[in-house]
Amino acid sequence: MKLYVYCLAEGVERLNKAPLGVAGTAIQIAKFEDLSALVSVCRPDAFKVTRKNALAHHEVVSSITKQTTPLPARFGTLVTVQQLQNYVSTHRPAIKAKLAHVRGRAEMNVRMIVSGKPSPESKSEDALGPGTAFLLEKRREILSEEAGAAEKQQLSAWLREKLGDLIKEEKISVNSSQTVILAKADHLIERVDVQEYRTKMSLAVAERPEVRFMVSGPWPPYSFANIELEFSRQFGVT
Amino acid sequence: MSDFDQILVGEEWENTDLSLLETLDHVLNRGLVIAGEITIAVADVDLIFVGLNVMVSSVETAHEVLRKREATE
Repeated sequence: MKLYVYCLAEGVERLNKAPLGVAGTAIQIAKFEDLSALVSVCRPDAFKVTRKNALAHHEVVSSITKQTTPLPARFGTLVTVQQLQNYVSTHRPAIKAKLAHVRGRAEMNVRMIVSGKPSPESKSEDALGPGTAFLLEKRREILSEEAGAAEKQQLSAWLREKLGDLIKEEKISVNSSQTVILAKADHLIERVDVQEYRTKMSLAVAERPEVRFMVSGPWPPYSFANIELEFSRQFGVT
Repeated sequence: MSDFDQILVGEEWENTDLSLLETLDHVLNRGLVIAGEITIAVADVDLIFVGLNVMVSSVETAHEVLRKREATE
């Protein structure tokens, strides 16, 4: 038997109307002094990667957001009791710092789709030799990376201008192809500011009719929960 | 999806599908990675199903959305 982990949290003594977890299991609280983990006892072979289970995972995480702000675990996390104990004990300061950072906050997401125009040089590529085509492709990659970095910076500046101090933390990614740019911005904001965020985003959206937007949230802070990634970043690993 | 609602601006999106896709995107791609076993097997048929859904929130989706829009214009 293993533990399926939904999230880590502080101050969770009991669950109010907890939904069923993955594979129809009951939710339990695993206590580690002042930290708690919402878990299910689950046979590894009973857990399947299904849409139903993915949604059950989210329902469980969301069910405690009225009590506290959790650090959601990634879907599919099955560990032994010992592994979970070890993780919490070795990461305790980082977990507590992260919980303090997200406390009372929620995640909002903005997705933007901008139509682009195909590069004219792509039309004559069939007539080129393989070496030239390779170099052109490399050039396109480099230009695309440079353009992506510039777009990311511009987008961040624009969003900060529109949303101001509402943004407590931001993560932006930009994916460009020849015909479309897809940008994603994840924002950590105070939960009490959700309505103001929506209002400000609605106004901002109206200024950019050429861009298609999707704004979603509030979410538990999925995008701001990971500790290992930030730890790795300190050592230059991405 | 009690903790989730969304405002969709500028496009007639399928709200229900997008809610589902957004949820799956969060659950599958984000969150705390705890040392342990991440039980996601490539061979799992359900994963492929989930993965295909999540793909809709990727760049490919953007292409699809644009194609559909152009077809209706």
